[in-house]
Formats: sequence, structure tokens, C-alpha cells
Amino acid sequence: MSHYEEVKVHGYDEFCKAVSERKGNDIFAYFSDCVKAEPVVRGVMSHLPEGSVFFYCQVGERPYWKDPNNEFKKTLKLSGVPTLIRYGTPQKLVEEECFKADLVRMMFTED
Amino acid sequence: MSNLGHTCWLCLLWSHYQHCPIEIEWHGIWFVTGTFDYDLVVIGGGSGGLACSKEAAQLGQKVAVLDYVEPSVKGTKWGIGGTCVNVGCIPKKLMHQAALLGTALKDAQKYGWQIPGPISHDWSTMAEAVQNHVRSLNWGHRVQLQDKEVKYLNVKGIFFLFFMNCCFTQLKGNIVIATGGRPKYPTHIPGAVEHGITSDDIFWLKESPGKTLVVGASYVALECAGFLTGIGLETTVMVRSIPLRGFDQQMAGLVTDYMEAYGTKFSWRSVPKSVDKLSSGVLQVTWTDEQTGKDQRDTFDSVLWAVGRAPETKTLGLEKVGVKLNKESGKILVAADESTSVPNIYAFGDIGEGRPELTPTAIKAGKLLARRLAGRTNELMNYDNVATTVFTPLEYGCVGLSEEEAESRHGKDSIEVYHAFYKPLEFTVAERDASQCYIKVVCKRGGDQRILGLHFTGPNAGEVTQGFAMGFQCGATLTHLKETVGIHPTCAEELTKVNVSKRSGLDATVTGC
Repeated sequence: MSHYEEVKVHGYDEFCKAVSERKGNDIFAYFSDCVKAEPVVRGVMSHLPEGSVFFYCQVGERPYWKDPNNEFKKTLKLSGVPTLIRYGTPQKLVEEECFKADLVRMMFTED
Repeated sequence: MSNLGHTCWLCLLWSHYQHCPIEIEWHGIWFVTGTFDYDLVVIGGGSGGLACSKEAAQLGQKVAVLDYVEPSVKGTKWGIGGTCVNVGCIPKKLMHQAALLGTALKDAQKYGWQIPGPISHDWSTMAEAVQNHVRSLNWGHRVQLQDKEVKYLNVKGIFFLFFMNCCFTQLKGNIVIATGGRPKYPTHIPGAVEHGITSDDIFWLKESPGKTLVVGASYVALECAGFLTGIGLETTVMVRSIPLRGFDQQMAGLVTDYMEAYGTKFSWRSVPKSVDKLSSGVLQVTWTDEQTGKDQRDTFDSVLWAVGRAPETKTLGLEKVGVKLNKESGKILVAADESTSVPNIYAFGDIGEGRPELTPTAIKAGKLLARRLAGRTNELMNYDNVATTVFTPLEYGCVGLSEEEAESRHGKDSIEVYHAFYKPLEFTVAERDASQCYIKVVCKRGGDQRILGLHFTGPNAGEVTQGFAMGFQCGATLTHLKETVGIHPTCAEELTKVNVSKRSGLDATVTGC
């Protein structure tokens, strides 16, 4: 039994709906165009704060992602994949930064 | 290992405790042995400290940076990045931009924009956006430090002198102090501390400061009063003697003239006496008008003290280890290589006596210091020819000497001052008054007329001055300036066209193309 909730979502609308259902929680979200789970992030998930929610969000097919007007880019301001964010804060890790365990751990454990 | 006896050892303690170190003596030993693994310990995670620590780490040094923000009197605190990121340059420039946009909106209508209804400003929207940006910068620094393997500790560094019969290894690395400064409170004025705020607080207010009294005439005071006026708040600046001390006084006058014309009230030759909080919650300020000798009184929602900054040295315990300070300013006495009176201890940035209180000089000095300590260079920081800009509603950019300083150093007869009153093209359609838009080039008289100082008031003064600062650094002369073809139509080009000298007495207003 883990101390955090893991939620898999596909696409912007599903992500927003799931987030709105969990307002008040410490929310982390990992946006990726890959199907398979990212081993570096997986390896650090034990450091997630108690009671937090971790979203694994697939952003969609390549053509959708390449469109500069897609909702992830426009509204969530994502600039690349993968991106790891702490929802509602300016904390984010982009692309290569997501593959550095110490940076991911820093985001999970710091205020 | 060394045996101590009566030898004294200086150790840097990382401590969460704020009280007398004697209480933590035994805890100290555990912390202290950790210190000796580091080549460099930087106290202060601001513009200077971060630049120095990141540079050192990149050069292969083992570095730790200690950053701790003592909350302001009002309780405001912030993350890593120092004054510039959190309570200085960055939020200041963003709020200045907010104010400029307000003016632009007014101008827009003359340019054909249909703006329905009156324009108003919401402080909370601006403050949240600014604060979010600052937080993203805090995070960015944290990621960089982690990435460059700089150990970051959110603790206070306190120097502690041991006389102990114990086994210690001697400190092998260097310590760099870059703790900067904090705003001063005029503690002798009743009510000042309890009811006033400073620049540490203004950028973090969740609600509008309302009708504000800004006490002081420094660039901090004028810049704050400037953007508060620009976003529509009733603002008064209370000045004891002269505005922008240390800057060219003719230019300072143009800056304040513009502010007065654009709605900032000035209370000249006034000294505050007391601040009281009335039952309604507003602050009543009593001050003495030094010209009449009479006392005056008015009420404000907020009182912002901008009466100077004091170095952050009190809690460091520097006297315990013998680091010498300037008695008057309290700043650390430093040599050209940023060394202090104690070997292995260096200091730079705002904390250094005689140093400019600017971010770019702190960053550059920090990087050079890191390189010197790692044995990669002998280059010292050049503090001359540093350009600056005051981001008041009418911006003022300058590099080099003021006219007064040039006169004092070379003699009035040995300098030639060229000047021009110009009108930015954008002001014409907007029907804006440009009386204070002015350029002044102070040169050596005769010979190649080397430029000694360059001054510009006008829009985007920082952008305009930066390029000319490079010319200045290269030893530009008036001939160089005149040989430079201007870019048209710009305000900056007026610098290349300057030809009327003050000595000639001719009208310096630029006419036509």
C-alpha cells in the first residue's frame, strides 16, 4: 500500500477532470509521449510526500504534440516532453532534467 | 590532526540556532567536521554568492552555499536568489513595467485603440504574477545548484572561535562572505518600526498598499514611488535634502521633475517625526518642514522607508574571528582581490566596503574570485566604468562620471559638456510632455575629447545606455560618437548627434530630423 495515489490519464481533458477532483492535494504530474513508465522517476517515487497524488499523463500522438496550439502547450505551458511538474507551483523539470534522480527527489521532498 | 593548546582555530558552523554559540558548542563539533570536506563555503545565496559557488563547482571545486533569509520586521521572507531576485531588481522592474503599461494604455487611445470605459489596476493580479515569476527563479536556482553539485543549506553561517583541547583538522578551504544588505529602519522615529514597511515587504504584499508615503530619495525610494504612482496609487515622496545622492544632480532633478509632472507628490526638505496608527487603521505621519520649521501632518495607508541599506554582518560573528569592518558603514574591508583581513576569508558584493551595490558587479566579481581561488586566473574585478539605470517613470541611464565629479577631478575649464533636449517620436502622437528627455555627454576639453560621462533620460534608458557603455569601456571619444551613424528614428541616435555645448550657451533643443 503506497503513501501516494497514482493516476494514469490520457489527454488534456482527462487530466484536468482528474485534477479538479483532487483539489487540495499535493499534485505531481509527469507528462510524456511514451507508453512505458520512466524508470528514473519510478525509482524515486518512494520519496513522494504522504497523501500526494502522482499523475502519469500521456500527451497524445506525435502530430497532436507537434501542433503548437495543443492545450498542453497553450494552457499548461509545457515546452517539451517529458515534463514533471508540481501542480500549482513554479516547480518543474523539463526533458533531460527528468532523468536526473537527484533533481526528481529534490522536487518530491522540498517545499 | 593538530593539538590546540592555546592556538586558536577558526571554524565555520552551520547552525539552525540563532542564540549565543556557547549553547551550541557541543553540537558544533558534529557540524564542524563536515566543513572541512569543502574547498569553498559561500555564505549568502544572492547574485554574488550563487555566481561564485556555481563557477567554483564548474571548475571542479567542492562547494557549499549557505543561504538564510531573516524575515523582515513585518515577517516577509523569500527563497534563494538574494535581494535582486526576491526583493530588488526583478520584482521592481516587473512592477515598473506594470506602471509603464498603464501609461501606454492611456497613449493607446491617441493611436486609435478603442478602450471601453475607464482603466483601473488590480494590485493582487500583478503581485501574484510577479511573485510567481520570482518563485520560478528560486526553483531555477535550486535546480542549477543541484545539477552543478553545489551543496545548498538553508541555514545561517556563524563564525565561532574555539579554544579547545581537542582534535581538529585545520580549515583547508576558503570562505566567501556575500551576505549583502537589508533596508534600514529609522529606529529613532516613534512608530517607524511598528507601522512602516520597507522594500523587503512591498513586492510581497497580497493587497494594495493604498495611499503611500515613501520616505527617502534614493533610487529605491524613487523607483518604488514611481511604479506606485503609475498603477494609480496616491503617492508622496518625502525628501530630507537632495534626490539620488551620488548621481549627477542635474539629471536627478529631471527625474524628479518628471515624476512631479506625472502625479507623484514630493514633500521637499521634510523630516518625519512620528508615525501613529489611528483607530480607523490608517497611519498618521507627523513631519517637520525644515524650510518653515513647522510641523505637518497627513494620513496614509502605508509608509515605506527607503532610507538606506545596512550590511548583513551582525549575526555572522565576524569580530570573533577578526574580520575588519568599516566602522561607519559596517561593511567588510576588502582588498582589490576581495580578500579580508583574515587569510582564507573573502568578501564581495554589497557587503564589501566601497563596492557598487549592483547585481552585475557582484556576479562578475564572484566568478573571477572563484576562478582565482581555483588557481585558474589572476584577473581582478574591474569596478570602473560600470553603467547603471534608474528605473523611475522617466528612466535615467548613465555610465562614467557625473558633471560635478568631472568638474571636481579635471576642473571646469578642462571639460566640455555637450547636451540636448530631445523628444521621443512616440511622445508626439501621444501628446506627451517631453521636457525632461535629455542627453548629456561630458568630455575632456581639447584633444580627442575623451568621453568622461554619458547621461540619458528617456524611455528604455537601460537599453540605450548598455551599448554606449561598451564604447565607454573602449575609451570612446566625442569624435568616435560623432563618427557613429545613428539608427533612425530612435532616441538613442540623439547621442550620436549631440553638438551644442553648455559653454556656448546656445539652445540645446533638438529641432526636426
